[in-house]
Amino acid sequence: MIEATDLAKAYGGKTAVAGVSFTVRAGQVTGFLGPNGAGKSTTMRMIMGLDRPTSGSVTVNGLPYAQHKAPLHEVGALLDAKAVHTSRSAYNHLLAMAATHGIPKARVHEVIEMTGLEAVAKKKAGGFSLGMGQRLGIAAALLGDPQTLILDEPVNGLDPEGVLWVRNLVRYLANQGKTVFLSSHLMSEMAQTADHLIVIGRGRIIADAPVKDIIAGTRQAKTLVRTDDAQFLQSLLAGNGVTVDQSEPETLTVTGLDPRQIARVALDNEVLVYELTPKVSSLEDAYFDLTKDEVEYHSHLAGGPAGSQPQAAPAPATAGK
Amino acid sequence: MSTTTHNAPASRSAAGARHSLTFGGILRSEWIKLFSLLSTRILLVLTFAAIIGVGVLTAFVRYNILDSMAASARAQGLEPSSDMLEQSMPPGSGLDLYNLPNAGLQIGILIFGALAVLFMASEYATGMIRSTMSAVPARTPAFAAKAIILAVVSYVITTVAGAVTFLLSVPMFQGLGLDLSWSTDGVVYSVFTGGLYVAGVALIGLSLGTLLRNSAGAITVLVGIFFVIPIAAGFASLIPGEFWKYVPQYIPSEAGGRFLAIGEIDAYIDPWQGGLLFLGYVLLFLVPAMIVLKNRDV
Repeated sequence: MIEATDLAKAYGGKTAVAGVSFTVRAGQVTGFLGPNGAGKSTTMRMIMGLDRPTSGSVTVNGLPYAQHKAPLHEVGALLDAKAVHTSRSAYNHLLAMAATHGIPKARVHEVIEMTGLEAVAKKKAGGFSLGMGQRLGIAAALLGDPQTLILDEPVNGLDPEGVLWVRNLVRYLANQGKTVFLSSHLMSEMAQTADHLIVIGRGRIIADAPVKDIIAGTRQAKTLVRTDDAQFLQSLLAGNGVTVDQSEPETLTVTGLDPRQIARVALDNEVLVYELTPKVSSLEDAYFDLTKDEVEYHSHLAGGPAGSQPQAAPAPATAGK
Repeated sequence: MSTTTHNAPASRSAAGARHSLTFGGILRSEWIKLFSLLSTRILLVLTFAAIIGVGVLTAFVRYNILDSMAASARAQGLEPSSDMLEQSMPPGSGLDLYNLPNAGLQIGILIFGALAVLFMASEYATGMIRSTMSAVPARTPAFAAKAIILAVVSYVITTVAGAVTFLLSVPMFQGLGLDLSWSTDGVVYSVFTGGLYVAGVALIGLSLGTLLRNSAGAITVLVGIFFVIPIAAGFASLIPGEFWKYVPQYIPSEAGGRFLAIGEIDAYIDPWQGGLLFLGYVLLFLVPAMIVLKNRDV
């Protein structure tokens, strides 16, 4: 269980996290979603006591992280896959981490096996691929068999098999009653992994609700309808909570009715309909709806007259640190 | 009677028992960190060899000076006595023979100082520091463990290397009729204090690595303190007036060096005062480093 109360962090004059309060509960996977620079990593570093909050507080299992007698048993964290000395082998890295808490060598071998690092365990961590580095970071997080697991972008750089493995691992740990707090900017990943979502943008919590509520709540299903008598069909459908927009000739976008209901109305009134496309609301849509005003680092298309600079590359969205 | 069997999942089998964070564990962790780097192991072996090598070479230079002094005495028809040779060396000139164990100390200072800087700064450079501070969120115990391990390792290696240097150098001087042995005044003192000085430099290096978080910068400052300031102080002592003659003895390297000598010198601080002053310099770096480490974001 992680509890943040009015947690805020400013670097110099720049606010990274602006007084957030949330609770991450045990027994479920809580996703921490937000665009780059939204304050996800900063919040996680504050939970781990690495960054000192400007104001507010955060506790893990009832105590500030640093006050636990056996911190690695309380929280395992993957904050940065690069939190490893590049010249040290993965095995020795884990052994040194384990030694602080008197965790036996057998456990080190166990987490190496769990994360599939056997083949490279004796190799220097500096030569690891991004995916291998993530696995090593996860292995380190699991060392103390912690009650709470904090993973910052754990699937970054993992191959599909690795992504699936992380998904199953966090689901398994949550089912064991552990607290799992997982950050990502990948909405699709969250939709498949998380039970609960905390969405953050520009250092503020935008949403804090179960995944299904967020998907259901933000946008109603829409249906694209193409018909040769748009005006007539629009007058038939509109009203009573149903909105109909005409974006181009013979094309309507209907909100509030499902395709079967629309088809029934059209059939009853003998209107020809030649396309009915349901536009399913996804977590992705919900996310964009929630964060469209909160994205700090927009991608800017080069300006200038339309079409004059087709090859102009969009400025890359930069990750805030 | 009921028997309960737990089918513990794999993730619990070895981690089931709860272990807790202890200072002994942190020490073991830092020990593993230091010696699990191939570069450290190679460096320590080379340092041991270098302290002895430079020490024996320096002893050989001193032997040559004494040998030519004896030769010129003979040319004047005098038979050089061992007393005469010993007294030809003014105390504090660095040519005393009792401090032969510390003849190679400068190389030890340089390497252990740099190693100490890297022990901390490389953790910042690689990001390892975040793993370290997650495992030891109180932070200062991790710093203390690093300090203890560096001090012990540098003390032991310097002391053993100093003793070996002395043993290898003694036979040269026996040819001159100089009877050097472990019972010669100051020899045992030199062996046991040389390591303390190097350990102190290592602690300053660790502190600089912590304060600056950058290997190159911290090593530069360390070299400045122990190799450049002495040169500047040497020039300062040329400034007319009594005052500047006595200033250089208070800089870190001179205070530390004075600690390694025996006997009193006019207008100079005593060895024990030099030792205390040097300890003060060590704390001057160590304490701010611990405060900064405790409070700064990592």
